[in-house]
Amino acid sequence: MEEIKKTSKAKLVASGITPIIILAGMIVYIFGPGADLLDFGTPLPEITIETISFSDSKIIATVRNTGPIDVEIVQADVNDRIQPAAVEPDKHLAKFETAKVVIPFEWNEAQPYEIGLTVSDGTRFAKPVIAAASSPEPSFELASYFAVIGTYVGIIPVMIGLLWFPFIAKMSKNKYKFFLALTAGLLLFLGIDAIEEGLEISTTSLAGAFNGQLLVATIVVISFLGLYYSSEKLVNRYATSTMAKPVVVALMISIGIGLHNLGEGLAIGAAIGLGAIALSKFLIVGFTIHNTTEGLAIAAPMARTKPMIGKLAAMGMIAGTPAIFGAWIGGFIYSPFTAVVFLSIGAGAIFQVVITIINWIRQDGEKTLSNAAVASGIAVGMLVMYLTSILV
Amino acid sequence: MNLVKTMRGKMLVSIAVVGIASAIYFAFLVMSIDAAEQPKTFRTHSGTVIQTTGDILDPIGYSGKPLEFIPDKYLREFSYGRVSKLPDGITLREFTIIAEDDKMMEISPGVFFNVWAYNETVPGPTIRASEGDLVRVKFINNGQMPHTIHFHGIHKSEMDGVFEPVGQGGGQFTYEFIAGPVGVHPYHCHVMPLEEHISRGLYGVYIVDPKDGRPPANEMVMVLNGFDTDFDMENNFYAANTIPFYYQHHPIQINPNELIRVYVVNMLEFDQINNLHLHGNLFDYYPTGTNRLPFTYTDVITFSQGERGIMEFNYTYPGKYLFHAHKTEFAEKGWTGLFLVKEPPENIDQYGVK
Repeated sequence: MEEIKKTSKAKLVASGITPIIILAGMIVYIFGPGADLLDFGTPLPEITIETISFSDSKIIATVRNTGPIDVEIVQADVNDRIQPAAVEPDKHLAKFETAKVVIPFEWNEAQPYEIGLTVSDGTRFAKPVIAAASSPEPSFELASYFAVIGTYVGIIPVMIGLLWFPFIAKMSKNKYKFFLALTAGLLLFLGIDAIEEGLEISTTSLAGAFNGQLLVATIVVISFLGLYYSSEKLVNRYATSTMAKPVVVALMISIGIGLHNLGEGLAIGAAIGLGAIALSKFLIVGFTIHNTTEGLAIAAPMARTKPMIGKLAAMGMIAGTPAIFGAWIGGFIYSPFTAVVFLSIGAGAIFQVVITIINWIRQDGEKTLSNAAVASGIAVGMLVMYLTSILV
Repeated sequence: MNLVKTMRGKMLVSIAVVGIASAIYFAFLVMSIDAAEQPKTFRTHSGTVIQTTGDILDPIGYSGKPLEFIPDKYLREFSYGRVSKLPDGITLREFTIIAEDDKMMEISPGVFFNVWAYNETVPGPTIRASEGDLVRVKFINNGQMPHTIHFHGIHKSEMDGVFEPVGQGGGQFTYEFIAGPVGVHPYHCHVMPLEEHISRGLYGVYIVDPKDGRPPANEMVMVLNGFDTDFDMENNFYAANTIPFYYQHHPIQINPNELIRVYVVNMLEFDQINNLHLHGNLFDYYPTGTNRLPFTYTDVITFSQGERGIMEFNYTYPGKYLFHAHKTEFAEKGWTGLFLVKEPPENIDQYGVK
């Protein structure tokens, strides 16, 4: 009996691996050494300048080889005028490798610049900067500054939103559903917003080699599925025992929102880090207002239980503090790739929260969403967000 | 059931590991980790000294190999041809010029560009004859497309290098004309598309000396040129004699109170004008070199395409003097050089300076 089982397992493994071996053989035959079947066309070098920062008498650009072949950076320029520069660690870039180009230059505050790099075949790649501004140096002060901003954007608004708890707790079933649906609408808007932002960064700053749009799609789906799976697990395991189901649902919502706030913190940190001060003020005000509604989303599922101030506050922290970490990441180690990844994770997380809330509404007796309170709630949520996004 | 569960768990873990690992790989700078090296120093154009552990990007040195084209050598290299006397007493000067269009040349440190060249250099050889000499140029086209040589000067229609394209892969043609008029002239390919055939490097200088010669001088040739290395119809590099910033890092050494004669030819394409400004001095300027009397005494001259002339000057005071395009964009992209006027011998004695 054992023997038969073993041979059948071996057969199974063999049948699984055979196609892979054949495929590998074919790839070696076509692309391997000595193969000239597909040897046509000239591969062109391509590099992408990912970030440009300005510090004391220096302009620093990070550059990535995003083309199909190795390149050598041989020249740097500012506004198309050749400048001596240093490239660290070295000028040779393998595929996807990055380097830092330091150009000593007396730049002027708020003036536009274009930074160019030339590779060994004489092709020049450039990236414009709308207004030069000093990039903050990583320091304890700046780290605490980011922490304060993160608190304002993440923690405080969520806590303010949680103050709606008694208001929701006392309302009728239909109004309660309306508010649940409203939060779903708000979050749906935020999720779409994050995707749009991710797509924009991937088109403007991320090299084509990364397939930015597909990167966004892939990470949104993975993030959504990952959270969906673990949240179901968590709900099934704990709902019956120590914690009440509403608490678990609220916890999952706050984790989802936390991941989303990580992306928001990243955007703010990056804007400050890249010297876009006006933009970051706009972002801070916008996110603060948006995030007040997130407190509402956390409070809503728990509104039918007896008030648990401690748990609510903890969830507020779970949802809010990631904004601080996001600001640190964005401010100190920004790259367009990190930004796209975190925005997409946040979007996936938010969609998971939306699904959780809608399921919550349906479990509460509503089999469809054709209920007037639910439909109008989602619609109003979207509209409120759209209007605040215009006004801010 | 348990097996399925652990399988699922493993899959999730492996997906998570792959995801996180790739995110870390791309999100943070992927830098090759080199052993800590001694920091190198370099000086910016404004004199600031910078240190780096990485590589220096500055148009000073070339990538280890000796440069095929050495601007210092080109500066004072005149080709007088194979000289013989014809029965009627006329001096015959025979030259051979070979065109190629597959040559990669390091036109700036680390920048390799496919130049089209006469006799393997850009500019081609400086051909020199006296007025009235018979010039015979055997032209061989070893390129992959038709080329010609069109000499500026006075000659018969069939020697103009326009209507007789010389075929690729070894086509031949012999240009023959009496040297004249006196002056400095360009020669270049005249095959369409003209702009490309010229800007890729098919040009050179042709000097016709007066029969009685010019006063003795320290003579040099400067071709003002540039390269459009990314084919956007704008030059990426500018120079006097091909290599950007070359004479800034290798100053042209001259003596005080020595007559300097520079044959300047502007072969720059794409840009409407080019110009030249000399520091700490003025010069006599002879447009096209055709007139024996200077046209002006100035420190800036402006050239359109194909314009050229002769500059004559001497320096009194020792030291370094810039010469560059006063169209400063070109200067900042390589068209900048230095004259180093050496300390006169008596000063060296006086101050004990070696």
